Amino acid sequence: MEFFSPTSLDEAYRALSADEAQCLAGGQSLVAMMNLGMVSPTRLVSLRKIDSLRGITRQSDGSVRMGAMTTHAELANLDLPGAPASLLANAARVVAYPAVRMQGTLGGSIAHADPAADYPVVLTAARASVEIGSPLGSRLISASDFFRGVFETALQQGEIVTAVVLPPPEVGAGAAYEKLSLVAGDFAIVSVAAIVANTARIAVGGCSPKPMFASDINLTDDALLIAGKQIAVNSDPPSDQRASAAYRRRVVPELIRRAVRAAQASA
Amino acid sequence: MSDRLALLIKVNGEMHEALAASSATLLEVLRDQLNFTGTKRGCDHGVCGACTVLIDGNLARSCLALAADIGEREVTTVEGVAKGVNCSTVQRALIESGAIQCGFCTPGFVMALTYLFSCDPRPSREAIRVAISGNLCRCSGYVKIVEAAERVVEAGL
Repeated sequence: MEFFSPTSLDEAYRALSADEAQCLAGGQSLVAMMNLGMVSPTRLVSLRKIDSLRGITRQSDGSVRMGAMTTHAELANLDLPGAPASLLANAARVVAYPAVRMQGTLGGSIAHADPAADYPVVLTAARASVEIGSPLGSRLISASDFFRGVFETALQQGEIVTAVVLPPPEVGAGAAYEKLSLVAGDFAIVSVAAIVANTARIAVGGCSPKPMFASDINLTDDALLIAGKQIAVNSDPPSDQRASAAYRRRVVPELIRRAVRAAQASA
Repeated sequence: MSDRLALLIKVNGEMHEALAASSATLLEVLRDQLNFTGTKRGCDHGVCGACTVLIDGNLARSCLALAADIGEREVTTVEGVAKGVNCSTVQRALIESGAIQCGFCTPGFVMALTYLFSCDPRPSREAIRVAISGNLCRCSGYVKIVEAAERVVEAGL
């Protein structure tokens, strides 16, 4: 295996132009898969020394740009007002364990696109965008278009996730992330991200190849239950060592109710 | 670039040379080449916490860090915390609380708790539980490990 550690994006794009070249971010998924023999990259390009992939900046329109190499621990400590920033911080606090949170990155996690991971769900609910760079320039794509399926994204060979952009704070809105897992730090059985003002919009993870999304949901118990059952019926959950598909469908409505009520309480 | 890399890694304050496969993890280099065998190989995919070290003062799974990617950063292992034959405060509290049975997970817990106390000298029980949430112990049931951490808090050390 060849190993490259470029200090600029241009250098990184050149190193990535070889067939089968792969980016290494925090390594918390990729190195685990290498150790388990699931992947054996022929060329790794570490993004660790590229300063432009770090840093969190508030832009003039109120949106927040977070560099791809921002760690989960940095996001967990994010002190930005209101939804949707609070949603991302809440999710980052329940990604894996302290040691993984200090090394794992936002960009690495979303490029990996595990359907039971936390960020795909919250970024979809937040209507965030993913900034993708290539030698040809930079493009912004909505989170809902970025996540395509199980470990599948819109990222093309030779491209790098450079940042995530969160939309400006939503006045009067609250947000919450409800994650059901077997033990603290494990991947979700089912998770729900909710942003609530006069109505709720939600994303549901762990139940389909990419996050499911619904908006304009009324806040009465009945409306939430109907929306929850609808999502459960339309979902395509896996049966695995964590839970059966039937169990996942069954808990979806209750998790949605909890996420929406918690979001209301946080507003 | 060849498949084997000559690496210079700073561990516990000293520079060490190693010749390692480009895909070698920090854990492999620490144990198999540099003889820092206090760091344990448990699951080798980031779940058990037995291989926990500090990289530039932050907690890290040494099984999930590539040795080639450490670069100029400084690694601290349990040997660096223990300072020779003298045990650290955290280590002594674990011994005195009977929080060690087979001992395989202990270096990982020492690193997790050492990091916790470096950030917060008086953590709550909840903060202690969160701090060790990424470390598995199959003997003790965790109660005595939490008690050991609380002993450090009470002693005000």
